[in-house]
Amino acid sequence: MLSFSKSYHYLKSCICFLLIFVWHNQYAQTDLFFDAQRLCNEKKFDEALPIIEKIIIHPETKNDPASWHIRSFAYIQTFKQSLLSATDKIYLLDTAMYSALRSMKLDTAKAYIENNNSFIKNGASSYYKLSIILLQDSLNSVKSEQYYLNYKKYTSIFDPSFDFKQKDINYFNTTGSTFEDLYMRNNFNQKYGDIAKYALLKVLDIDSQNISANINLGILYYNQGATLMRMMDYDVDLAQLDVIQENAKKLFKQSLPFMIKVYQLDPKAEKALESLQGIYSALLDDEKANEFKQKKEALNKK
Amino acid sequence: MKFLLKYSLLLLLAFSSLSFQQQQSFDPAAKVKAAFLYNFTKYFEWPDKMKSGNFIIQIIGTNTNLNQELNKMASSKQVGNQKLEIKTSTSIDASTQPHIIFLLSESSDMLKEINSKYKGKGSLVVTEKNGLAKAGSAINFVVMDNKQKFEYNKNNAVKAGLKTGDGLNSLAIVID
Repeated sequence: MLSFSKSYHYLKSCICFLLIFVWHNQYAQTDLFFDAQRLCNEKKFDEALPIIEKIIIHPETKNDPASWHIRSFAYIQTFKQSLLSATDKIYLLDTAMYSALRSMKLDTAKAYIENNNSFIKNGASSYYKLSIILLQDSLNSVKSEQYYLNYKKYTSIFDPSFDFKQKDINYFNTTGSTFEDLYMRNNFNQKYGDIAKYALLKVLDIDSQNISANINLGILYYNQGATLMRMMDYDVDLAQLDVIQENAKKLFKQSLPFMIKVYQLDPKAEKALESLQGIYSALLDDEKANEFKQKKEALNKK
Repeated sequence: MKFLLKYSLLLLLAFSSLSFQQQQSFDPAAKVKAAFLYNFTKYFEWPDKMKSGNFIIQIIGTNTNLNQELNKMASSKQVGNQKLEIKTSTSIDASTQPHIIFLLSESSDMLKEINSKYKGKGSLVVTEKNGLAKAGSAINFVVMDNKQKFEYNKNNAVKAGLKTGDGLNSLAIVID
């Protein structure tokens, strides 16, 4: 059994210890925050990140907008230090964006609003750049679109009234023409053709009179029909030859409305005249093919 | 800088329409006709004296795409043991005994002359103008529903000196 004086002494020691612990812990968190800030200022982001990860889970600082703000800054800077094409580092950008959003949500006093908006803007721009770079990698068209959607999502946050129409047209036209080019350069690989078709049809959903998308879709369908014929062996039996002709005919006919649209929008578009001549010729409609041939020749004489 | 260059190239690509160039040199109609002509060789038997030497397809008239396609075909195919040889002219070549004479539409008025010159000698006469299967050719290409079809007149094939069964009847528009 402890005597009263001993118990009192023991209790006093415990209280003192607890006070020291609480003070130290609080001081330690503040200390950690300043450490992280110092390391960020010295651009030592690799060293700052583990400290920041402690800050954002500590009860004292996890709801502080400054913690998430510094986290966003550190991650976006670390992402920038990696190659933009290194898409395996995309988690850094994702984390930076998530942190900026979290900071914005906690920042009721709007103390960090300007910086957070700037981080979001910066991140949106990086997603857009990545989406374009990924178009060059034929295996990443899905990721490219995903990053493009991220670009749109974050742009809407810092600029809610931004009109994406022209940007969408440019992005999907770029995707369409890139994959149409890949389709032609890779022995008319259907996979690339389908991606091009999907993107170009998206452009026409936004702007049905878009000349570039109409021309490229017309050419794509024509080329798919022509490919069926090109791949056909000369000694294909006659019944099969009829089936191939039927399938190619359907594709040539699908090509037609897109080229007619271009011609209607611009009757002097040489590309449309040339393409219509080719499509009608493939459809064995010599009269129509000649009509467009003559129109093209007349245009060239002027 | 590198990104800007790539990006500019991509945008340039997006706004410059792709051309027909890669497939332009390819004429689907010519390929179909070449495949038909090759197939016809399976349905006829030529006289014994024509079973040696090259298998000659004579084109009368001008169709550059068809000529190219047939020459491409000749480089990869043969008829039995006979090599394919493609000849083109704008008039009848008296020095040649072709296995197939393809009279292009612009030369259709030569049909009568050809039939009298090659009657019974074993040349399959193919034309491509409406009504010519009735007027003397064994096979006449026609367009139906945007597809290449052919009319077949077996009597004219027999008159030309060829042996044939009824195999083509089910695939052709039969002309009596």
